[in-house]
Amino acid sequence: MDRLTWMLARMLRDAARLLPSAQREWAEAVRAEADLVPAGWPRVGWLAGGLWLAAKEAEIMRKVVYWLGIGAVAAAAAWAVWLSWHTSPAADALTVTDRVRVLVGVAALALLPWVGRRHGWFGPVGSSIAARLVRVAGCVAACGLGAAIVRMDSQIHGGPHGPGPFSLSREIAAAVILAAGLVALRVVRARWPQVDADALWLAAGMTGVIVLVLLPAQGIATFYVAAILAATSRRSLVASGALAAGALTGLPAGLAQALAIYGLNAPDDRYAGLLIVIMMAITFLFAVPAGVAAAWLRSGNEDPAELREARIRQGLLAGSVSGAAAGLVLTDFVPIAVFMMVLGPLFGAAGGALGGAVAAYHPRKPRPARSWAAGLFVRSGS
Amino acid sequence: MSRRAAISAQTLAVLAALAAEPSGWRHGYDLARETGLKSGTLYPILVRLADREIVEACWEDGEPAGRPRRHLYRLTSGGLAAAMAALAEAPAPAARTVSAGRTAPGRGAAPRRLAREGP
Repeated sequence: MDRLTWMLARMLRDAARLLPSAQREWAEAVRAEADLVPAGWPRVGWLAGGLWLAAKEAEIMRKVVYWLGIGAVAAAAAWAVWLSWHTSPAADALTVTDRVRVLVGVAALALLPWVGRRHGWFGPVGSSIAARLVRVAGCVAACGLGAAIVRMDSQIHGGPHGPGPFSLSREIAAAVILAAGLVALRVVRARWPQVDADALWLAAGMTGVIVLVLLPAQGIATFYVAAILAATSRRSLVASGALAAGALTGLPAGLAQALAIYGLNAPDDRYAGLLIVIMMAITFLFAVPAGVAAAWLRSGNEDPAELREARIRQGLLAGSVSGAAAGLVLTDFVPIAVFMMVLGPLFGAAGGALGGAVAAYHPRKPRPARSWAAGLFVRSGS
Repeated sequence: MSRRAAISAQTLAVLAALAAEPSGWRHGYDLARETGLKSGTLYPILVRLADREIVEACWEDGEPAGRPRRHLYRLTSGGLAAAMAALAEAPAPAARTVSAGRTAPGRGAAPRRLAREGP
């Protein structure tokens, strides 16, 4: 027991050094008072509490998760590069995963997490748990998509189900449109700050759709990572409730679509048309409850008309998140369905807007006021 | 989005202990014994209260013989008013727990609410 106590005291002393100077004295305060605590388990518990305090103040868990994420991305990127190096040509306009494009894609994916830590459109991450989880899970799924595309291309390499011919001029056009759109947004916001933010976001969304249609698969993955960072940043218009609702409905929607594809798989593609209709319907149907939940979770004291509009907007955004998540999950399992990463957010937005509108016009009945006590909800009147 | 400000029972217990002797300095183990809170619950609450300038903290003067210097805490003048207001508004079950000088086992979420929303 003495040895355990001594070890914990040493660990607490070392952990205190990890803290910024303003917080260090708190960990030192716990250590200084350990001698007052009765020896044995009470003192061990006291020192363990100090370690917990140091972990919380130094945000150690967040840092561990962050570096694990960085490690996973680095491993996936290294694997994709290694695979393409062994199976792909150095440069070939007819494949999506030649060495040059894989290296460009990996560099873009490696750059985005750095961008996501800076203050701006992409970062830092929002304070809610939903924003953090969606950001991590979304980036992992996007990296998984990159790996899946590399693997598919290395296996079937231009076969009938391959990613299709690649056009360099189309890629350049998409990059130019993307750059022009971003520059135009910045210019408009700088010169005419009174311009309606909704109109700007609509224009940005339309530019995004055009880029998604024109860009090849790894461009879509990179664009998705950028969208995930933007949607989960502190400046995002997507509320944490809408993010959570979209992610929670998008995941089962994507899995249901993958199951539908595996279930109706036929060698002559006779169900291809039916499958596409089913996937659209699944995206739409799962986005409706996401929109309802996001609209109901949006509360406020604004004018009723404004509140209704805000609820519908959150419903639409939740539906988009749901459709995008479904498309991403589906493409991770079935890379040929990459088109759903473009169509998913559109059909999801439609379903979410419908759900949001229904919920906005049928708000929940207010629940009795409650407060926190002893870690549990209790009714104020009780 | 408006959210109702709420203070956890654990935080109320700490405020009640400090408000009982507002001019005196208290140390952490003393507060832990009085409130029944573990160090892992008590100190995050003290950190948040100090961040919001409800509590002031300092190290004991001099070098006491045979033991390390203690970190001491007391309510600021603004903190005392906030604590009294919070204790007056405390719901009955929480107030009973506070008056008994004991709280339910700490949970991390509740103290964080104070840090976000204030008393």
